[in-house]
Amino acid sequence: MISTVTLNPALDVILEIGDLHLNQYNQVNNASLYPGGKGINVSKAVRACGRETIAIGFLGGGRGRIIEEELRKLGITTNFWHIENKIRSNTIIFDKKNNQHTLMSETGPKVTEYDLEMILSIFYRIMSQSKIVTLSGSIPPGTPKDIYAKMIEIAKNRGVKAILNTSGEQFSKGLEKQPFLAKPDLRKSNKVFGIEINKKENAINAAKEIVARGAEISVVSFEQEKDIFATKDNIWFAESTHHRILNLIGAGDALVAGFAVSSTEGDKSLDEAIKFSMSCALASALCEEEEFDSRKQADECRKYVKIKRL
Amino acid sequence: MKIKDIMIRDVTSALADCKLYNLLEILSRHKITGIPVVNQEQEVIGFISQHDIIKDTLPNYLGIINSGSILSEFIQLGKSLKENSNRPIKDFMKKNVITVDENDNEVLAADLLIRNKIQRLPVIRNKKLVGIITLTDICRTLIKE
Repeated sequence: MISTVTLNPALDVILEIGDLHLNQYNQVNNASLYPGGKGINVSKAVRACGRETIAIGFLGGGRGRIIEEELRKLGITTNFWHIENKIRSNTIIFDKKNNQHTLMSETGPKVTEYDLEMILSIFYRIMSQSKIVTLSGSIPPGTPKDIYAKMIEIAKNRGVKAILNTSGEQFSKGLEKQPFLAKPDLRKSNKVFGIEINKKENAINAAKEIVARGAEISVVSFEQEKDIFATKDNIWFAESTHHRILNLIGAGDALVAGFAVSSTEGDKSLDEAIKFSMSCALASALCEEEEFDSRKQADECRKYVKIKRL
Repeated sequence: MKIKDIMIRDVTSALADCKLYNLLEILSRHKITGIPVVNQEQEVIGFISQHDIIKDTLPNYLGIINSGSILSEFIQLGKSLKENSNRPIKDFMKKNVITVDENDNEVLAADLLIRNKIQRLPVIRNKKLVGIITLTDICRTLIKE
C-alpha cells in the first residue's frame, strides 16, 4: 500500500475562461471542483497506475466532505482527521485562449495540538499497512516545522520508506531524518539551500546538497519537464522530449507517485524508477485538467522520456 | 460481487483508550453513528456506536425505548455523559465485533447486517481494517444492477 499525507489539502476550483482580461468582467465557461493538495494528487496518480493507496491528513467542513467523497469515488481509501474549521480552497483560472493556468492558493485553517496528536496517531497505525509514504506540500498554521521529520522517524521505525516533497524549514528538518527520497517544492521559491535553480549545473549542485543532508535519493526539477536525480554515487539527467505540455500543475506530484509505484514493484532498477516517474509526470502534464487516469497513459509516455547518467 | 468493490473506502477508527468525549467529537465531525475500534496494527478489536454509549450511560435505557419518549431521562443522560466523558471507549465498545472479509460477497454482508441489527460492518483484510459496508451501499448496488 502507498500512503500519502496531505496536511494542508484544498478543494481545487477550476474556472475556465475563454480569454482572461484583468480588471474586467470575465464569463466563466466551465467551473469544476476537484480534491487538491500535493499528497492527494499523489494518491490520484498512484490510483491511476492501478495501485492501492490511502490518503491521510486534515480535512474540515463541507469542503472536506466533498474531498473525501470524491477520493472514495476514485477508489482511494481515506483516513482523514476532521478539524473544527473548514479547509482552504485553491482557485485555478484557466485562460483557454492563451493556454495559461493561474493558481491562487489560500492559507489553510489553524490546527490545534490535539489535531496534531490525532494525526500522528493515525499516521502510526496506517504505517502498519504501508510500504511507502509520501509527505507532500505545505503545512497549516499551528503545525510545528518538524512534523514531517517526526513522521519520517515513525515510518522508518515501522519499516516504511518515506518520500519528502515540501519546502522551507519542514524540508530541511525532514532531511535530518534521512528520507528515502526528497524533492524540494519550488513553487514559492526557486532556491534550495541558497542555490538558485535556474540552470542545470545549479540543479545538480542542489541535488547533491540534498543527498549530503540526508536523503538517499534526491530529485530537483528545473525548466519544463527536466529533472536531476542524484544518489550518493550517481547523478541522472532526465527530460521529456514531448513539447506539447498542457498543464504543469500536479506533474511533480505525478513524478513522486511514479517513483513510489516503481519502488514498491519488486526488483525494478533505479533507472527504471526514474523513467517511470518521468513518464507519469508527462502523462499528467498532457492532461488539460485532472490527473491522468490509467497506467497505459503513463506507459505510452515512456518513449518521450530520456535519461542519461552523468 | 465482492465487498471490496462496493464498500466505503474509509478506515476512520479509534483506539480503545480514546476518551468518550473525543469519540463523540469524531462521530460528530464525520457525521457517522459508529466506528471500528482498532489496535496499533490497525486490527479490528471492537466496534462502538452512539447506541452502545447511550445504552451504557442510561440505566433506564430499555424503559425509554418502550415509553417512546426520552424527555424524562434527558437530564439524566446529560449528567451521565458528563460523568463518563473521560472514560475510555473500551468500557463501552462491543468486544465481540462482527466483521466481513473484503473478498466475501454482498449477500453475506447483508445477512450479517440484518441478522445482527447493525448499521455499519467493518471490512477486513488479514485482520486489518480496509473499509466499511452498510446496508445502504448494498441496496444502492442492487438497484443499479
